Amino acid sequence: MSSGVGNWPEPLGTILHIAGEKTKMRNILGAFTGKKAGRVFLLPTVIFLLVLTMFPFLFSLSLTFGKVSFIGGLSIHFAGLRNWAKLFQDERFWNALSNTFFIVSIAIPVEYALGLGLAILLNREIKGRAFFRVLFLLPMMLAPIAVGYMWRMLFNLTRGPINHVLLLVGLPGPEWLTSTEVVKYSVILADVWQWTPLMLLILLAGLASIPREFVEAAKVDGASGWQLFRHVVFPLLAPASIAAVLLRTIEGLKIIDKIYIMSGGGPGISSETMTVFGYSLGMRAFDLAYGSTIAFSLFINVLVISLIFFSMTKRFQEVTLE
Amino acid sequence: MKPKGKEKLKLVYTYILLIVWAGFVLFPIYWMITTSFKPKLDVYLGPKYVPWVDFKPVLQWWHRIFTVEREEIIPPLIASTVIATASSVCAVILGTMAAYGLTRFRFKFGAMRNRDILVWIVSQRMMPPIVVGLALFIMFRMVNLLDTWVGMILIYTAFNLPIAVWMMRNFLSQIPTSTEEAAMVDGASRAQVFFRIIIPMTLSSLMATFLLCFIFAWNEFLLALILTFDRAQTVPILIASQHFQRGPQWWDISALSMLAIAPVVVIALSLQRYFVRGLIPIGK
Repeated sequence: MSSGVGNWPEPLGTILHIAGEKTKMRNILGAFTGKKAGRVFLLPTVIFLLVLTMFPFLFSLSLTFGKVSFIGGLSIHFAGLRNWAKLFQDERFWNALSNTFFIVSIAIPVEYALGLGLAILLNREIKGRAFFRVLFLLPMMLAPIAVGYMWRMLFNLTRGPINHVLLLVGLPGPEWLTSTEVVKYSVILADVWQWTPLMLLILLAGLASIPREFVEAAKVDGASGWQLFRHVVFPLLAPASIAAVLLRTIEGLKIIDKIYIMSGGGPGISSETMTVFGYSLGMRAFDLAYGSTIAFSLFINVLVISLIFFSMTKRFQEVTLE
Repeated sequence: MKPKGKEKLKLVYTYILLIVWAGFVLFPIYWMITTSFKPKLDVYLGPKYVPWVDFKPVLQWWHRIFTVEREEIIPPLIASTVIATASSVCAVILGTMAAYGLTRFRFKFGAMRNRDILVWIVSQRMMPPIVVGLALFIMFRMVNLLDTWVGMILIYTAFNLPIAVWMMRNFLSQIPTSTEEAAMVDGASRAQVFFRIIIPMTLSSLMATFLLCFIFAWNEFLLALILTFDRAQTVPILIASQHFQRGPQWWDISALSMLAIAPVVVIALSLQRYFVRGLIPIGK
């Protein structure tokens, strides 16, 4: 009654026997040596991304044409273009889209300008450079949730220090988080605080990679500080600048965490971004199909912006990728 | 010859600007630290700035976190630690393997060459998490991975893989292949080369990559918000939910937020050398 390879009919037994030999440890490692060895290294990553990113992505796309119901078990029905039609007529969608772009279009240039300025200051050989560099990079490592909370406390009208100090010097303090006009700027300020460091980091690396000879040569030719920056440093910094701005723009378009804590998208929907909108419709209102449609429209925006960046900067691609 | 005075003045301005920015960076952090030591009344009665001058610092809230609120706080801390560590280890191992493959072999999948594969992998990171998040909610629900450590480790591994591949590829492409070739001439297999030569040679880069992945996973919010609600709840979710449950109990939430921030700050400060060196290739 014992079952084992030996008890199987002859051909099957042989196959199993060979298969058993093949799976010996030495032979598994042997897979690394053959001509296809490269695939063994690459495959796990590819499979991971196919299953956990590409598949959900396509699933999400199919959901935008469906209707999800959890009543009596999960069921998904085809709903044609209903979600998309609803989206384009939804004023809350246009509001979220314009809020998202508003925040990004102000926050990213400010972060870039500040990051560039700080990178130039920190690129000089001065005492305490290492200290400032570590300190300045700190905000981007902190949990955005905690950062949102910090700024919520700072912006508080009666207990926060900002309006207290403004009051002391006789300035009217704005209603940072409770005014539909101001709230977006407050979010931008918190975003600048947290993400200027990333710009700084990438631009510092960019500055470090500029060959000294170029700068020296320009100096010998009598270039002034500004000319040096305008005609030598800034153009050579272009790949790093583009990488930094692209990265931050894409990340900025997805913003939710700080807003979730600081204003919850409010007052009303005045600071609601695409991700906040998608989350509240998808998970709070539990309309997963419509939530996916919102999310997907955000993806399309991210994609279009990335493509614009890439086509604008095709000639820099060699430098940024190689 | 430039006058020396001008250079000196420039230096003074540089320091003034640096110190102003340092103040801007530090103040919110300072505010959160001090708030976690403020008595209730000193939070309610308008802003108090300097400990021992404006207010008498108390340890009450920190004590409370580790006693009364212990049962609420310890599980998310454990979950966050396990999930962030495990997913970063996976991402670094798989990412290093992929990076090794991409720098040492020539691939051709249809029209896709090495460069296209790299772009494909890295571009996954650009996808907004909300897109995959809602779909993953349904997928995880079907396979019972919702609100589990395993589910979160899997998704954070995928979330960090593009960065791990990108960083490790930058490091590995700088290592000359001569040592490996010599070893292989002596009869070493690819696996031996990878584990005995590449891994030891890139330890500091592996560390930098691991830390970056860890920080991303530790801080991640949206996917955890969608995919966990109880057992696998992470620290950011805990903070967000406390905030909505209790309203403005600032002292308490400040202490909690400090808990979320502290590990990352400790990592960043103690290993800053790895960090700065490790991150440099990003801008290349």
